[in-house]
Amino acid sequence: MQLFFDQLMNGIGTGAVYASVALALVIIYRTTGLLNFAQGEMALFSTFVTWWLTDHGWSIWPALLGSIVFSFFAGAAIERVIIRPVEKSKNQLNLVIVTLGLFLAINAICQLLFIKPGQDQVRMPLMFPKGDFELFGLEIQKAILGRAAVLAIECALLFLLLQKTKIGLALRAVASNPESSRLVGINPGNMLMLGWGIAAMLGAIAGTMAASRGTGGFDTSLMQQVLVYAFAAAALGGFDSPLGAVVGGLIVGIARSLTIQYVDFLQGIELVVPLGLIFIVLLVRPNGLFGRNIVERV
Amino acid sequence: MDTKRTPRLRRTLVLLLALLALVAASCSGRSESTGGGGGSDGGGGGGGGDGESGAVVDTADCPDTGTAGISDGTIKLASSFPQSGLTSAFAQISKGYLAYFAKVNADGGVEVAGKKYKIEVVSKDDEYKPASTAQNIEQEVGTEGTDAFAVFNVVGTANNVAIRDDLNELCVPNIFAATGSPVWGNESYPWTIGSTLAPYTVEAKAFADYLKEEKPKAKVAMLVQNDDFGKAYEEGFKQQIEGSDITVTEVKTYEAGTDEVTSEVTSLKASGADTFFNGATLLACPNALNAAQEQSWDAVTFVSGTCISKTLMGIAGEAADGVFATTNIKDPLNPAFKDDAAMKEYNETLAEFGADDVDPENGIVAYGYTQGALLVEILESLDKLDRSTLMNKMFELKDLTGGLLLDGVEVNTSPEDRFLAEDVQMIQYNAANKYFENVGEVLDFEGTTPDITPKDLINS
Repeated sequence: MQLFFDQLMNGIGTGAVYASVALALVIIYRTTGLLNFAQGEMALFSTFVTWWLTDHGWSIWPALLGSIVFSFFAGAAIERVIIRPVEKSKNQLNLVIVTLGLFLAINAICQLLFIKPGQDQVRMPLMFPKGDFELFGLEIQKAILGRAAVLAIECALLFLLLQKTKIGLALRAVASNPESSRLVGINPGNMLMLGWGIAAMLGAIAGTMAASRGTGGFDTSLMQQVLVYAFAAAALGGFDSPLGAVVGGLIVGIARSLTIQYVDFLQGIELVVPLGLIFIVLLVRPNGLFGRNIVERV
Repeated sequence: MDTKRTPRLRRTLVLLLALLALVAASCSGRSESTGGGGGSDGGGGGGGGDGESGAVVDTADCPDTGTAGISDGTIKLASSFPQSGLTSAFAQISKGYLAYFAKVNADGGVEVAGKKYKIEVVSKDDEYKPASTAQNIEQEVGTEGTDAFAVFNVVGTANNVAIRDDLNELCVPNIFAATGSPVWGNESYPWTIGSTLAPYTVEAKAFADYLKEEKPKAKVAMLVQNDDFGKAYEEGFKQQIEGSDITVTEVKTYEAGTDEVTSEVTSLKASGADTFFNGATLLACPNALNAAQEQSWDAVTFVSGTCISKTLMGIAGEAADGVFATTNIKDPLNPAFKDDAAMKEYNETLAEFGADDVDPENGIVAYGYTQGALLVEILESLDKLDRSTLMNKMFELKDLTGGLLLDGVEVNTSPEDRFLAEDVQMIQYNAANKYFENVGEVLDFEGTTPDITPKDLINS
């Protein structure tokens, strides 16, 4: 029982990271209809920014806040400077290729900027204290509770923003119908920029959480597998559903841990699990578990 | 009210699936790395002799390029290793041998058959990607194999595998491949030979022997990478404990390229093991140690020789306290060697000839330095400077010592034993002092590698 529970918790610990990245993917997909392959590497850059700040004397939480603010502006800038000009071509594939280019470019820039030759190690301070917390006779690592709490706060703030503020209403309006929203005085361009900014903020949290576990050691490959799992999470939950992204992320994380524990023949190739999940979702529910089935008006 | 997004979504998802498959494939391209020292002994392939004079390499089909890459009294060597990214830590290896070569060059060069030569090394960054290694080496050596004399100390198993066919064809020596894979004993590749890193199966034997003495009823859980590197540990260790009371309770493999191994460790701990064979490398290794500590798994722990660098052990910190490993190189951090003559020479050489950003305390610099020192010794012993003479010499080394090889570790090779340094020292990490302490004496495994290594691992 404790073993199953431990693996469940391991899954939630990693799932919280997948869910955060999946949320970022979903935010961009909802507002622009674009799958952002560079999301993981954008998060990597933000993670290095957090680390850079901690390396310059900040403690971890202020550094994370600083990185979140930075990421907001950087994300918005990427939308304005790189994505928007290409978007005019109306060809979705061009945009996908651009985000793939960003994927490689940002990774290379991280290496150039942050990894100096002969550098000893890149280590993120821990966000949460080590040690266990006892709940109903079961032991839970404090770090996993902390990650789950961060995810919950993320969700709550996002919900408030989208559902309870005018900006959120405008964001949803643009996502739903750009032309009509323009007629009622919303500038879709600004909203798209905002969407990218918010996604980059989520990425900063996800990346920092991913690095700030265990030993805190990380390198430029930090987000590459995470992105694969996050895509699986988003596909599973539905690309237009933030709730789906969170549930999907947790499911994928837990599925991964349980696979490692209980499915011997998939040992060392657990990556098959998210790929399998994407495949099944594509076949059975192309819109994901929480995605809306969109009916086209004729 | 929504725009028509569904067909597009479906198309994009299919595209996504294809791309993810690509990403997954590229992610798993990473394999193990070299760490600090590691001794090996080896027996490699037999045969090779071809009857005459015990020569291993057969030059009948070789192009007439035996002395290519030697000009104006300079021997040009080619190399390729990661110089960017976190794996760029391996670039420190080159700083060790470059410092040694600089010293030799300053003294006039290495004397081969009565003539002095300077040693020059050209290298390129391959980011640890085998495809880039192949490209780099082709550029440096030339498509005809005429632009460099030999390939030296290329880092990574897959990286060396990626170049060995071409170099075999061109008859260009690939010496001191910087990995402990047993495949360097493969007789089909007489132009490639490993370095003084112990074959991984020797590490496994050392640990098995230690357990037989100290913990004869050990229940061992293993964490290994899902490739030949992991297989060498798993199969090598299992073969060594046959007939003893030691049991393997669980083996978990992790995907090369991932460093998230918490779930694997949870599972290993749950198997009831009291001993942990941590065969992971790069960040997965300290992460596994840390996970074991967080989960209060109090096990006798062994780590891969690829994990004993100052960097990775530093990341593990407290969690690495008391872990065992093997090496055959003197640890520059260990004060026991403070007054050692070889260590003094090493420190002086690095201070005078080392690059500005070199870290002499890092064991992999000491390893690189040792490879440089051994190469110079080998070159000096040649009676003629050409490729086949060098290569044949590589397979008849006798009791060679030098560089920072531990006292008692001797390099011996023969056509049947293609592994350089098989003698290893068991070491134990002291987290408070941040260095490894020696445990017991040097273990003499000279010539045993072929017997303790599954044949398919050598001949792959």
